Amino acid sequence: MIVAPPASYCPRHPARMLPTELPGAGEIVSFTTLHSPPEGFKSPLHIAIVELEGGARFVCHGAETRGLKIGSTVAIEAVNNVYYFSSLGALDRARIFWRRAGRAGDRVNSIAQSLMKRVWKGKDRAGL
Amino acid sequence: MRDVWISGAGMTAIGRRTEPLQSLMAEAALSALLMAERERPDAIVVAAMNPEEFVGDGNFASNVATHMGFAEVPTVRIETATSSGAAALYAGFAEVAAGLHRTVLVVGGEKMTHLATPRVSELIGRSIDPYERLYGATMPALAGLITRALMARNAVGLREIAQVAVKNHANAAKNPYAHYRQPITIEDVMTSRMVADPLRLLHCCPISDGGAAVVLTSDRIGVRIAGIGQGTDTLAVRHRQNLTSFRATQVAARVAFAMAGFGPERVDFAELHDAFTPFELIALEDIGLIPVGKASRATLDGETALDGRLPINPSGGLKARGHPLAATGLAQVVECVWQLLGRAEGRQLEGHTALAHSIGGLATNNWVTVLERL
Repeated sequence: MIVAPPASYCPRHPARMLPTELPGAGEIVSFTTLHSPPEGFKSPLHIAIVELEGGARFVCHGAETRGLKIGSTVAIEAVNNVYYFSSLGALDRARIFWRRAGRAGDRVNSIAQSLMKRVWKGKDRAGL
Repeated sequence: MRDVWISGAGMTAIGRRTEPLQSLMAEAALSALLMAERERPDAIVVAAMNPEEFVGDGNFASNVATHMGFAEVPTVRIETATSSGAAALYAGFAEVAAGLHRTVLVVGGEKMTHLATPRVSELIGRSIDPYERLYGATMPALAGLITRALMARNAVGLREIAQVAVKNHANAAKNPYAHYRQPITIEDVMTSRMVADPLRLLHCCPISDGGAAVVLTSDRIGVRIAGIGQGTDTLAVRHRQNLTSFRATQVAARVAFAMAGFGPERVDFAELHDAFTPFELIALEDIGLIPVGKASRATLDGETALDGRLPINPSGGLKARGHPLAATGLAQVVECVWQLLGRAEGRQLEGHTALAHSIGGLATNNWVTVLERL
């Protein structure tokens, strides 16, 4: 089981956890929009659970949920220790598919990293 | 292990109450003792989820016992978030079954309506995983995530989850103890304010005050606790592979039925934890009362209505009877006992076997209790 954030013990077994790294892209497990969020959060608050390849699930914030579906591929990135999801364009999805098709090791990591950078450039332009 | 019987069951009217929490719990306890024809129990189990924050009182077992005039009766307090009432029933059951005490009073209650809604939400939300809470996750938010996953997967639609609310409000209209006694329509539900997309206000249970109590005894009288089971899961919802069923309910049901020695097919009616209406559909399938994938169809067809094949939430459920947290698990059992003993005037059902299902937190600590009139 891979969990986020890092935990001392596996939630289901009294076993020590080891650190690991994952590419910052995955699938939407579910999402909701909260219209009366708790104090300190802006309404509407978009929350999603995103499952990264390898099975780790993150709770993330997002700028919007329009067009989002369960199973949609998204990128996630931390800003000030808070994870945000954002939708991926066709080119990004093609890259992930190509990566899945059989590359491994450092090459995969560098692609995943470049993917994240691309996505974050896109977000900057959107004024986020 | 001794057989454990429920010889008395009582509760307060649920809703917006002005009395202090201790008085609400005393009212429920004395009415249960009156029905059991007992002046004084041998021991007391108290359920209160968070009286320290809601009403500012601690050491709450002694507080309640003293308030009721039972300062010299051994008392403990039990807590498993929103299922605390059911957990207290388990503790009382264990005391009687083990032969430690012959008669045990189990009483639960919560007082919340005097606080502002955001404060109540925040206090209830403290039972959520701290990391998920950092992201603004509240109970409705997590229930919204679960509902969307359910709708994507099991062909559960907005109409089905609205129908649960309509049915439970119709039942509560016949229950003088219920918080909301006015019937509502599917239209009312589907046009109510959006809370956590796709959940709207009328898919969610209200904030309520109230108390509920039962008297347990090893004497063969009243209703027998045939089986009682606990099931648990991770505090964090994100650590669960499957969002559309609750492991904690499945395990609790398995354990309860194993103790009872029979299965869900013998259950005549049930009180299920419908804090959010989709949870009733999930529970029906997790417990095995309705085959997997058939709960919404059965609900639309009226099978779970008061006059249906398998009435669910005859009291009105958390949705309309109300959800005074630690009282709820016991209020469900009170309704089942009253139904089994022919004391549910205006909504009386036929049947020998009833089931109560209580969810603690976001399904981290759940209970199933099977009750039988011999």
